[in-house]
Amino acid sequence: MFKVISHTANLTRSQLSRSLPAFSTSATRLAGDPTSRKEAPIIDNESVLTLPEKAKERKALDTAIVVPVKVDLSPITGVPEEHVKTRRVRIYQPAKNAMQSGTNNIHHWEMEFDTRQRWENPLMGWTSTGDPLSNMKVQFSSPDEAIEHCEKNGWIWYLDIPKTEKQFKPKNYGVNFSWNRRTRVSTK
Amino acid sequence: MSFLFNRTVSSGRSLGRIVFNNAKAPLVQRVATKTDQATPAVETRPTVAKLDPLQKSQLIDFGKYVAECLPKYVQKVQITAGNELEVLIPSEAVIPVLQFLKDHHNAQFANLVDIAGMDVPSRPNRFEIIYNLLSLRYNARIRVKTYTDELTPVDSACEVFKAANWYEREIWDMFGVFFANHPDLRRILTDYGFEGHPFRKDFPLSGYVEVRYDDEQKRVVVEPLELAQEFRRFELSAPWEQFPNFRSNPAAEEVVNPGEDKPKQE
Amino acid sequence: MSARQAIQVGTKTVKPVLSSSQGEARSRVLSLYKAWYRQIPYLVKDFDIPKSDEQCRAKLKEIFLKNKDVTDIRVIDILVIKGQMELKESVKMWKQKGHIMAYFKPTEEPKPKDFLSKFFSSNE
Repeated sequence: MFKVISHTANLTRSQLSRSLPAFSTSATRLAGDPTSRKEAPIIDNESVLTLPEKAKERKALDTAIVVPVKVDLSPITGVPEEHVKTRRVRIYQPAKNAMQSGTNNIHHWEMEFDTRQRWENPLMGWTSTGDPLSNMKVQFSSPDEAIEHCEKNGWIWYLDIPKTEKQFKPKNYGVNFSWNRRTRVSTK
Repeated sequence: MSFLFNRTVSSGRSLGRIVFNNAKAPLVQRVATKTDQATPAVETRPTVAKLDPLQKSQLIDFGKYVAECLPKYVQKVQITAGNELEVLIPSEAVIPVLQFLKDHHNAQFANLVDIAGMDVPSRPNRFEIIYNLLSLRYNARIRVKTYTDELTPVDSACEVFKAANWYEREIWDMFGVFFANHPDLRRILTDYGFEGHPFRKDFPLSGYVEVRYDDEQKRVVVEPLELAQEFRRFELSAPWEQFPNFRSNPAAEEVVNPGEDKPKQE
Repeated sequence: MSARQAIQVGTKTVKPVLSSSQGEARSRVLSLYKAWYRQIPYLVKDFDIPKSDEQCRAKLKEIFLKNKDVTDIRVIDILVIKGQMELKESVKMWKQKGHIMAYFKPTEEPKPKDFLSKFFSSNE
């Protein structure tokens, strides 16, 4: 009876026989594994049925390519050539509004373009311009991001930082009453 | 004496909130303030959006479940604006994550509501693609966000959701993000010879060209822009901080997995 | 060794858009050029353009040569994709005569490039 069972187990040669170890009592237990018996390996249907050019395409897209870090996107951004080659970008931190002493809106970096000609409209006296980038201001959180953005788009840029940082000198209230300095508040 | 000390030294922090703070502080209960009352109990003020804590806890649990099911792809899960679940993934992971959310029995987000794009030029991957999904079975919404730059293609979601077709065409047209394996990627909103991607932050409001009818040519011609009156520019940023009471309230709260060492943050 | 490291530092590994090598990108560009070249006689007839075939071909060559210095494979791929979209719009006649003639920019006067012309013409 054992011989019959092992014989039927061999006949099935499917993967099912591997999951029934109780039946494979013979030495040909691993006979169910086709790779060990020099048969064709099991390939999944998808890779067999795809056309060769589609398989090549998929393989090419799965791999990655190596490109230089510095990339010039000016042909594909859609900006006209004259607005890339002839313009200069100023990267700066906006100045505090002199009328108010709040400083919450100056802690970022902005990028703006050089100014172009504005003329008076002859009919109504309006200010006309031919410059689409006259009101273009893009905001960044650091000058490096702004510089990288300008480099990617092909603009010539310059960093506008004030030459000297204003040093805050902590003042002593007593200088208001010194006897020989200009900081004296009054003569009384 | 210690009472006076407490009042002067920690006065900036404690005066507004705590009424009694003397040496007998452990025996005196803190008087409940408005913010204490609001968060655990039901919100009663009419002008504040009512938060459903059950819905929020269910969304948090589902967010953790998604992060556990797709650990390779999910980079971050967060709750925004109190009750909106967001899953942040890299751009290679769009198809697996959307397929999971559509087909998994506990998710069933079969409805693609919208695919939106966002341009943040200060980031290296400046574009953000945002998929909004709706589950009719579970009455829940989820947002899937990916990032990409001008040159990296994103896999098209058309094989998962047929509705993604025109949305992705719009994002290609308006931002310039290329969708790989899209059945028909072409412009949808701009004119036929239009160059440029209008929703980018460095595209000017007036555009670069203008069109007019030319009588000599007897057709419409495209010319560089010339405005009769230049657009006004408004500096809308106020120099004073607008919401000092909400300085410590971030827009999004991160949903942390129970497997990590960090304490559970709500 | 340091030179190779320098080269590796100046490069990055990215996902390709369409082609994975310079040769493949070049073949895409050339096939796009051929497609446009073969479509030109039909464009001239269908849109009734007041230009001859030779002028159209010269314009095609000029537009393709404008981008001859592009070396990044992915930028070339995006340019090819956009060119293919334009070709499809022209072939299917979704474009109109004005869109095709816009390539020739007939009403635009060439802006002055050298210093003296700029000085005489305007204040910019």
